[in-house]
Amino acid sequence: MPRGSNIARVIAFIALGAGAAVLSNLTASTQRKLAWAGSYPRALDVGAPAVEPAPTASIPAPAEPTAPPAVSAGSPPAVQVTAPPAPPAALEPDLAKSFPPHPDKSAIEVAPENVLLLHRRNALFLDARRSSVYADGHIPGARSLPVWESDIDTRVKALYEEGLDQRAPIVAYCSGGNCEDSHMLAEKLYMVGFDNVLIYKDGFPDWQKRGLPVNRGANP
Amino acid sequence: MSVRVQIGLGIVFVVAAIPKIVDPPGFAHMIYNYRLVPGGLVNGAALVMPWVELIAGLALILGVWRREAAILVGIMLLVFIVAIGVNLARDHAVDCGCFNVKSAGRSREELLSDMRWVLIRDVGLLLLVAQVLAATRPPRWNRPT
Repeated sequence: MPRGSNIARVIAFIALGAGAAVLSNLTASTQRKLAWAGSYPRALDVGAPAVEPAPTASIPAPAEPTAPPAVSAGSPPAVQVTAPPAPPAALEPDLAKSFPPHPDKSAIEVAPENVLLLHRRNALFLDARRSSVYADGHIPGARSLPVWESDIDTRVKALYEEGLDQRAPIVAYCSGGNCEDSHMLAEKLYMVGFDNVLIYKDGFPDWQKRGLPVNRGANP
Repeated sequence: MSVRVQIGLGIVFVVAAIPKIVDPPGFAHMIYNYRLVPGGLVNGAALVMPWVELIAGLALILGVWRREAAILVGIMLLVFIVAIGVNLARDHAVDCGCFNVKSAGRSREELLSDMRWVLIRDVGLLLLVAQVLAATRPPRWNRPT
């Protein structure tokens, strides 16, 4: 048997696979569909995405009891189970002062304490994880913007068209650890002019570890 | 024996392909995490590769064009070995995404030790491919010279 036919059959297998993939993607639901051309600028970078570390110190958190550093130094963050008591109702402007926009970069990371503060002050929270994961549990009030699903650009556009203040702080999170979905989302938001996306680096697992409330289902 | 090896190998590939076919965005995420595929090609790879796995696996189970299916499975295994090997070499922990496209949120050390096992497993599967290829060699008088 000539070798050419071997190669032809291998190519036939691949062509068949490609055809099946085209058909399957055509008939897939939005959550399963995938655009054929991916746009992932950092696809070849190894290591953490370039993001400024948290501007931790600048936050006026009046009522937060700060533990003495000597005690908290060795203890893991999981120890802090209860949320600090809510600060007195403060004005929006001071929130804007604590978290100024950063038009020169797409995102900066914020410390968990600041995330809690922002949540109490009703900052916009965005969940970058898959919609099925979002439905299993998410931060109350957070909206679902799953970066890996095919309708993400439509969702970002819809958010843009709501005419929100683009300089107001927005918190984006995913599943913590090496998860980069929130950074990807931040980049998409940056492209349409949102200048103040903050990354909750430890993400939803940290939120759960702190025993904070969780909403289930497809709605915020 | 080669028929059983062939069927076993086919089942492994079919089982591996199904979760990826069910959730292409999840698999695209896995491929992205490997940091080896240029951004524009990540989605295409995530869409086509599972179907090629499925078809090659089915061909092995059914015994249709089994030599060619084995060649294809061998090529895919080599790609997987290189992908895992490169990331182990540069100490970059990734979820294998072999049989499951949901990241389990495991620690770096767990992932790295998993990757070592996957490497060994894939080399073992490659030996099975070699067995199928040896068993399906065309008879001597029919070989090209």
